[in-house]
Amino acid sequence: MKKEFKIKSLNLKVVMFFCALFTFHFSLFTASDAKVYIDITSPALRKLPISINYTGPAEAGQIAGIAEDDLNFTGIFYFIDPDIAGAEIRVRINVEVLEEIKADVEVFDLIANRTVLNKRYRADRKYLRALAHGIANDVFEVVTGRKGVFRTKLAYIVNSGNKKWLYLTDWDGYNPVRIVSKGLSASHSWSPDARYFIYSSERNRKWNIYSLDLKSYREKVLFSSKGLNLVGGISPDNRVAFSSSRDGSLEIYVMNINGTGIKKLTRSYGIDVSPVFSPDGSRIAFVSDRGGSPQIYVMNSNGRGVKRVTFEGPYNTSPAWSPDGKWIAYVGRKNGKNQVFMIKSDSTDLRQLTSTGNNENPSFSPDGMFISFDSDRGGNKNIYLMSINGERERRITPRKIKAMNPRWSPYLKK
Amino acid sequence: MKKFLILVLVAGLTIFAFGCAKKHVKPTDEAGAAREEVVEETLTPREAGDVSTYEEESLFEFKDALFEFNKYNIRPDTRAVLDSVASWLNDHRDINVLIEGHCDERGTNEYNLALGEKRAKAARDYLISRGVSSKRMSTITYGEEKPVCSSHNENCWQRNRRAHFVVTR
Repeated sequence: MKKEFKIKSLNLKVVMFFCALFTFHFSLFTASDAKVYIDITSPALRKLPISINYTGPAEAGQIAGIAEDDLNFTGIFYFIDPDIAGAEIRVRINVEVLEEIKADVEVFDLIANRTVLNKRYRADRKYLRALAHGIANDVFEVVTGRKGVFRTKLAYIVNSGNKKWLYLTDWDGYNPVRIVSKGLSASHSWSPDARYFIYSSERNRKWNIYSLDLKSYREKVLFSSKGLNLVGGISPDNRVAFSSSRDGSLEIYVMNINGTGIKKLTRSYGIDVSPVFSPDGSRIAFVSDRGGSPQIYVMNSNGRGVKRVTFEGPYNTSPAWSPDGKWIAYVGRKNGKNQVFMIKSDSTDLRQLTSTGNNENPSFSPDGMFISFDSDRGGNKNIYLMSINGERERRITPRKIKAMNPRWSPYLKK
Repeated sequence: MKKFLILVLVAGLTIFAFGCAKKHVKPTDEAGAAREEVVEETLTPREAGDVSTYEEESLFEFKDALFEFNKYNIRPDTRAVLDSVASWLNDHRDINVLIEGHCDERGTNEYNLALGEKRAKAARDYLISRGVSSKRMSTITYGEEKPVCSSHNENCWQRNRRAHFVVTR
């Protein structure tokens, strides 16, 4: 399958792109019950045999293919040819295309011999992919009892000469849309409701923190001072963590998402940077060189109780907190290359997740099943996804562009 | 003095003509355009002399102050570079400079922005200790975003780990 990578920078496109999330019509005929077919938290995961068949015009095959790609990447399904026995779950997709796409989807439990989901999806033809991702989400949820991430987005940076632009894309790399074209963009972060996108950018020799309203596409300066100002993570109650050298040395601060209520949390001579909140907002992981080399530390969100987390290796940066709050993914330097590692926030259970090329900027999917990151393993830096057990990986940006620093969106409203 | 100036200018323009695009000073747009025009012709002392109205102080060659990997302290061998910058700035009190902090590609982008900030400030603090007023200096970090050299070896990395001076006037 050949991916398209068109540069779309019009505001209008961005608005349309978000409309796609809202103009969807669902009508649920029978709700699924609470049976969970696969416990994806189980260590001895059995893959669920599933078949997908489809009827209708060419779009039917495209929709089924996209949904199957989504489900396949989770690693919890085993796909069986619909004409061969052995599946435990059967998905039937019947598609009609008139002015819009209409897809009737039935998910059938072949063991219990009953329908567990029967749903009609409608969308404008240009939202075929979104419709297919929506089907994959529902199949995933019926089977696992958990929300799928197939309608989430990733934000990432594209390097174009002296500029660094910000893009949004579907989770599988399709539909890239440029959202910020000014300046040299660096760190960036989603607000918990995905309404605002907060980022640091260098323009006219100043590093400021900007906020983009993804509904109105209006940008404003959120924080400005002399020196370096780098946004970190945002808490569930909309506090923005950032690093600033406004008082001389780089320290960790928090502020409200409207720029008010600035509080300074650290005071050390050296570098304190890259603060990210734990998912419950109670703690902050960050990078400091206070011990002589860059290492990951954790503190309470009021700045007290600082504890060092990483002790292995001379260079550990770029922390990302897992959605269940247990793990911190980060980038560590090993044998002269940067790799993605994962460690529990109490410093136990260190795991190395990558080993080829330089791999940087990990970011968890909102369900914690996947990590996005950038890697130069194929030449240019590109965006990759992997499952957190490292079993499956895919590149989602074209090799010819230079893409880096992905940040996975929260779940988006339908 | 004038001959010396011409010599410096001819040397400078020759280097420019051979494609070494390393800029030590940031010319204004007009000056930059004028310079390019001259490069395309064969230089004669008279023509070069014409351009020598181009300010004398811009001809000072700011060398980069270099740093160790992942460090922001001033090395002993870098002090000589900074001392010459300080002494020139002390002789030209109408000139202001922007100090850019840069890093090599090996670290991570965000941490490198922090490191570059520290390098620029370390260079600034050293110049303050040599009598240059802090009001004449501003700093900015570019981390690993604006390398002068793009090969993946120590020679190149060393050139990128630098504090770089730009005249802002």
